[in-house]
Amino acid sequence: MRILLVEDESKVARFIARGLSADCFAVDTVADGNSGLDLATAYQYDLIILDLMLPGMSGTEILRHLRQKDPNVPVLVLSARDAVADKVGHLELGADDYLTKPFALAELLVRVKALLRRGPVNRASVIRVGDLELDRLSRRVTRGSRPIELTVKEYALLEFLMSNAGRVLSRSMIIEHVWDQSFDGVFSIVDVYLGRLRSKIDQSADHKLIRTVRGVGYSISNGAHS
Amino acid sequence: MNVKSIHFRMTAWYAGLLVSLLILFGASVYFGLRSYLERTVRAALSEQARAVGEEIDERVTDKRLPTIVNYLNEKFAPQLNARFIRVTNVTGGVLYLSKRTSDRLLEPAVVPTPPRQSEHEYASEAFLPNGKRVLVQVFPVVTPDGTVIVEVGSLYGPIEAVLSGLMMTFALGMPVIVAVAIGGGYLLTRRAMRKVDEITVQAEHISSNNLSERLPVFETGDELERLTMALNRMMERLDDAFQHINRFSADVSHELRTPLTILRGELEAAVQQERLTPELLDLVGSALEETERLRTIVDQLLIVSRLDAGGVQMERVPLDLGQLATSTVEQMLLLAEEKSITVRCDAPPGVEVEGDPSRLKQVVVNLLDNAIRYTAEGGSISVSAATQNGWATLMVADNGAGIPPEALPHVFERFYRADKARSRYSGGSGLGLSIVNAICTAHRGEVEIASTEGVGTTVTIRLRPADGHKAASRRAESATPLLQEWRVQ
Repeated sequence: MRILLVEDESKVARFIARGLSADCFAVDTVADGNSGLDLATAYQYDLIILDLMLPGMSGTEILRHLRQKDPNVPVLVLSARDAVADKVGHLELGADDYLTKPFALAELLVRVKALLRRGPVNRASVIRVGDLELDRLSRRVTRGSRPIELTVKEYALLEFLMSNAGRVLSRSMIIEHVWDQSFDGVFSIVDVYLGRLRSKIDQSADHKLIRTVRGVGYSISNGAHS
Repeated sequence: MNVKSIHFRMTAWYAGLLVSLLILFGASVYFGLRSYLERTVRAALSEQARAVGEEIDERVTDKRLPTIVNYLNEKFAPQLNARFIRVTNVTGGVLYLSKRTSDRLLEPAVVPTPPRQSEHEYASEAFLPNGKRVLVQVFPVVTPDGTVIVEVGSLYGPIEAVLSGLMMTFALGMPVIVAVAIGGGYLLTRRAMRKVDEITVQAEHISSNNLSERLPVFETGDELERLTMALNRMMERLDDAFQHINRFSADVSHELRTPLTILRGELEAAVQQERLTPELLDLVGSALEETERLRTIVDQLLIVSRLDAGGVQMERVPLDLGQLATSTVEQMLLLAEEKSITVRCDAPPGVEVEGDPSRLKQVVVNLLDNAIRYTAEGGSISVSAATQNGWATLMVADNGAGIPPEALPHVFERFYRADKARSRYSGGSGLGLSIVNAICTAHRGEVEIASTEGVGTTVTIRLRPADGHKAASRRAESATPLLQEWRVQ
């Protein structure tokens, strides 16, 4: 998969590229608007990550021109502007997603993957992590043979963790997906719910699935490489 | 009536001035008329005295003095003209004395002889035994037989009658004039001041949140128009300054985002490194936690700046404050349970307001988050919503640490912390209440906070109830409150 990254802030570009490369993407990075548009129209990219404030041509202009030529390539807009009007405006112009700086790299990766699997979405009804099983249709969760009773919120939290298994999810990502924007900053709520979830899933098992990465967030994985 | 109001004071001054001017005018008319009348009477008396004197002078040389009595009676008829004439010689012998006047008011016999003052004619006066005043003109005539004194006089009464008539006119007329002038003046000034009242009402209503509004300008070309225009220009400058500050904090938060992104990205990359020692991992994790907090602060600062600048488009949809409170309490209940805090929620549905659901939810979240944070283990929090006194109110009360009274007025200020050490330990961005305040103000509502140290804190927000939902809110008021209580064992 080949991704074009148009970002003038070299350090930001560097760590995004590094993160994407680690996930086995091929990344082309350009730092100004004009060459961004040139590359975007010259090659067939699988995804374009676009910063808005660029020297030369703005991200908004690139998006406008790009959509006239290629209405299909997924575009993820990165911006420090978080006003609702900015988001809506760019989504209307044809952006597929909008991420506000500063963002967690994990979140960017989650979103990139989500955009790339848009075509044939892999939404299997049953997700498994180790011996933990979650059935999206019947909303049943089992660990081994033991059924686990979860509240609605705990279920939503677990589903979000499991559908991004192996990835570290930041608390603000979790809040945004499982709660809503109003809870931004109330990180304790994530900790409390995760504590509960963990006690239900991991307490009686000697193989712990949920892992805390200090400062980054939580992840669920088979534990083979943790 | 406000005795300090301009129109009252202006009327009072004006009335005072008018009264003193009228008194001055009346006095000058009175004294002027009196002196004129006196002079006129004196002139007549003097003329007659001279005539009598000439006659006597003539008759003395003709030796016809004894005939003078009849002559004077005939020629001057003093009793008919309400005058008295007396002619005496130096020794005091009376040569002629007129009869009692026909109006019986003046009896010449009882008029005392005025003291001798001059060799020439002089004005004098005398008082009758009954106290009446008599004007007397004395004219000494030097004859070969010695000096003869002619006195001609008349009562002061008629002059007094004219003067007291004048006084009466003044006494009756002046109060009427003054009353009319005060009434008219009061009405006129009040009319002029009514515009001032309107301007005052509008000015009261303008605060830092609606600085873009202006005072009404009455295009009258007068001082008031100039004043309102000057005030409007002043507000424009204030508005500019305010916007500048808000833009500044927006720009700052904005500029902070890029370096924050880099910082976070680099640190996250560091965490992924597999050769990090646990100690180093812990350090990087701690740094990441701080960048996350910094991000929250920057985000929230931006929210407050935008709300304060009035640049945020608020959604206006009908929503139920009671339901919002109940559902948010349910969502956050676990946080309270962690600290064994009892949450009591008395928020019946039907407290209808119009507003932005996600922002109002943030208000409830922030208030609850604060309450849980500052309430000790085992404490209790009560949340209630109701429609009362024309407001939709939401109240969050806790029995936590409370806020010292000197800190209370500042809690809505950005980054203000009542107890620096404890608050930092408890987390939070220091912007929670600023956001609550900004959101409520943007909804044209208000926030009130009451707190007693060691007893607890109560925050009340008041929002305007939705129009057209009055019936619904009345229903809610009369309904039995839905009491929900969760307890932690």
